[in-house]
Amino acid sequence: MTNLRRLARCAAAAALLFLPPARASAQTTVTPDAASPMFDDTVLHDVSLAINTRDLAILKANWQLNSYYPADLTVGDQKARGVAVRSRGGGSRNPVKLGLLVRFDRFDKSASFLGQKSVVLRNNTQDASNVRERVAMQFLRRMGMPASREAHARLFINGEFQGLYTLVETIDDPFVLSRFGVTDGRVYEYKFNDVAFVAGADPFVFNYLGPDSSLWQPDLFNPETFQSQVDPQGEVIGKLFQALNDPSPAWRTLVAPYLDLSKFVRELAIENYLGEEDGLMGDYGPNNFYLFRRASDTLFNIIPWDKSNTFWPDPGPNFEIFRNILDGIPSHHNLLALRVFNEPDLLNLYFDTLLECASADDGFLEAEVTRAENQIHDAALADPLKPFTNDQVEQDFVAMRAWAHDRAANVRRQVTDARAQ
Amino acid sequence: MMKRDRTRWLAGVAAAIVMILGAPGPAAAGQSQKQDQPKKKKEKKPKRPRAADAAEQPAPDEPIDPQIDFGGRGPRVGWKQHPSFRVGSWFRLDYEMKMQEDGHASFPGAANFTPWELHRNRVGVSGYVTKRVDFEVEYELTEKELQDKDIARGALPRSQWKDVDVNVHVLPTVAQVRAGKFKIPFGLDEMTGVTHSDFVYRSLGASYLDPARDIGVMVHGRVFKRGLNYWVGRFQHDGDNAQTHKEQGGDNTVAARVTGAPLRVLHPVFKNLEIGGAIAVSDVSDQSFLKCDTLDCPNGLRGRTVVTQDFFFESVYVNGKRKRYEADADWTAGPVSARAEYTLQLDNRIGEGTSNQTLSDARGRAWYLAGTWLVTGEKKKRPVKPESDLFLGGFGAVELAARVERLWFDSVGDTGGVPYRSPRAIDILPASDRVLTFGVNWMPNRFMKLQLNAIHEQLDGLGDRQHALTKPVPDQFWSKVVRFQLVL
Repeated sequence: MTNLRRLARCAAAAALLFLPPARASAQTTVTPDAASPMFDDTVLHDVSLAINTRDLAILKANWQLNSYYPADLTVGDQKARGVAVRSRGGGSRNPVKLGLLVRFDRFDKSASFLGQKSVVLRNNTQDASNVRERVAMQFLRRMGMPASREAHARLFINGEFQGLYTLVETIDDPFVLSRFGVTDGRVYEYKFNDVAFVAGADPFVFNYLGPDSSLWQPDLFNPETFQSQVDPQGEVIGKLFQALNDPSPAWRTLVAPYLDLSKFVRELAIENYLGEEDGLMGDYGPNNFYLFRRASDTLFNIIPWDKSNTFWPDPGPNFEIFRNILDGIPSHHNLLALRVFNEPDLLNLYFDTLLECASADDGFLEAEVTRAENQIHDAALADPLKPFTNDQVEQDFVAMRAWAHDRAANVRRQVTDARAQ
Repeated sequence: MMKRDRTRWLAGVAAAIVMILGAPGPAAAGQSQKQDQPKKKKEKKPKRPRAADAAEQPAPDEPIDPQIDFGGRGPRVGWKQHPSFRVGSWFRLDYEMKMQEDGHASFPGAANFTPWELHRNRVGVSGYVTKRVDFEVEYELTEKELQDKDIARGALPRSQWKDVDVNVHVLPTVAQVRAGKFKIPFGLDEMTGVTHSDFVYRSLGASYLDPARDIGVMVHGRVFKRGLNYWVGRFQHDGDNAQTHKEQGGDNTVAARVTGAPLRVLHPVFKNLEIGGAIAVSDVSDQSFLKCDTLDCPNGLRGRTVVTQDFFFESVYVNGKRKRYEADADWTAGPVSARAEYTLQLDNRIGEGTSNQTLSDARGRAWYLAGTWLVTGEKKKRPVKPESDLFLGGFGAVELAARVERLWFDSVGDTGGVPYRSPRAIDILPASDRVLTFGVNWMPNRFMKLQLNAIHEQLDGLGDRQHALTKPVPDQFWSKVVRFQLVL
């Protein structure tokens, strides 16, 4: 009897153990955008980073790695403690004048600074004038595109002047909230494979690689937002490119759930107007863009990124409107761009958008280049780590102004000529 | 990889069951004893095995007892405590095996979470050469620390060698010297053998604040008629628990532990109340993280959840001394037992601020209170041995267990600033895990144990600030664990 009681007690205890557990779930919150002071381009900001000297030495010695180091960031009179800094950039990555990504949420997922989860400190090592990126993004926004806000800043690390930088708004959760009004979007950064390209491999030109999610992320399209990191859904990206490459005449119908082709054509036109040498129709294949889609549907948006190679000097303001379509290396041609230019209505939209850019410009680019130049001129010349001489900086300012002055007329002429053919 | 492990484990279990069935029963043991010790007074006539005799058999995961011998001269093999090879009375080599298979379930979406795993699969030998020199060698066949991606990138695993040491009885019981790799004498729960634990998992404090094994030399012994036990040692690093493939941990550890029963003279109820305390001091260097493959791995201690192993506290950069303090109490009375332990760990952060300033010590603290009750009435020991084995007229031993505990991290002092999360934070944002564990242990015989644990965890100080968690982890959640253990 005693044994039976003991056994009954054991059974009851075991049953209690395996009652359904209580559950709770975490929530991710994104605060509304409050970063305007950081990207106010009417002032030249002062930005300070405090980094442990040991970390700074390791960061400089390992500038090609993406390792993060703890730091404190000050922008004007606003201070952010516990931020994380790492070296960044493709062609602009530099061991002397560091290109930096500052993340506010690296050590605390919910942390933000002036509404931002992160900010880029662009070193402008590929732009002697330092103004290409900022003015190009400004023009993209003027044309209604979801482009980053930017402002110039003098950067000090542990009290030492590092040179002139550009504060660049990153494409992440706060960006998605402010531009698309959602907190559940999925953002992917396109990762141009520099190593393979240098080794002689053909670039990705919007060709279809297959249905497997891992073919599309994280190496080709790197998940950026929290949701896309938790569940990358690379297969949806695969479906986008499968539709873009469908050989049937009904391909545009198949593409419709994944991409608004008219928005894509507008993006092509605006980038071309800005003389973008390394964008969607870049010389080395498509580059410098993000994909974004809402969690609730499959429609992707293209978000422009890194406009350091706009206002391209070769051949100057008469930068060809069909660059890398009618010329360039065929294996670098964007297959979707080639395809849309074979659709009369989309080709016409391309021309119309180029003319719209010319109208929207109408002296705007030249004025903005001049305003930026006046604001940063002294800081640019005083930059101790820039890979340019002061003469080169001055000459580039002059060239930029001339390029901006002449671009509208050149585009109008090219469009007229093209339509006449 | 998992499939291969499980196949190997199942084969091991099958072999073990065959061995258990072939293991000597109480009667055989009696016969053996009679044969081994012919000069003793005449043994009673062999009788049918009684279930109660099982309790007289040594459990295989008890310490080797030199008294348990089957005598004789010359080389011979036998099996009382373990399968054993003997030469006369001066050499003994026992084969040992420990296997633990775990099944777990936790909150939906827990990442990198395998429902079943071969948690431990250890083999080893132990014994003595003359009565003055003991030795043991134990090896873990299952290495869980590294995942395939770690191996692919060339990361080195933690050593799979466990206890590898020699113990010399310089002055029997009073002073012994142990050298090799073994547990740094710190922490009641950590020092308790892994197969003896009342719960599936050790307390969080033992797992993340206590040092565990390292290479070193230690003097230990018992004085005052076992009223005082002591251990004093010096070790190369600061134990396996402080080291991962990302963190090197500390160096040059000096540790001392004392336990005793000072209250036993006051009242019989305190006879089995043992009070203990320990201290360990190590060097921690801010250079050690340079060996980390991503260069952004601080070298402080970390906190992880019990089952899902999510980080609720990431390490911070430390430099200087690491000091650990611990106090514990261990009480048994008949079928019940109670344990309590408090651990404090302090890491210097000399020059570790973002402006190279010295920061206040990083601090980890933990406590637990645990109780057990053998409902089948056996006297509480570790390991528990059933009075009546399953299939020998009994059901084995059944035990209920409960433990409440907390592990939390922050920094010492208050600079007046707002605490925040960073490996170089001036004021470290506190983070903690409160855990409540209920368990049922069933020991069908002295070889096997089945443990069921329900574990409730509550992550405090995080709110939506799930700084270190790479996926949504609830603020509080239940996990369920079942462990089958086989020891030979």
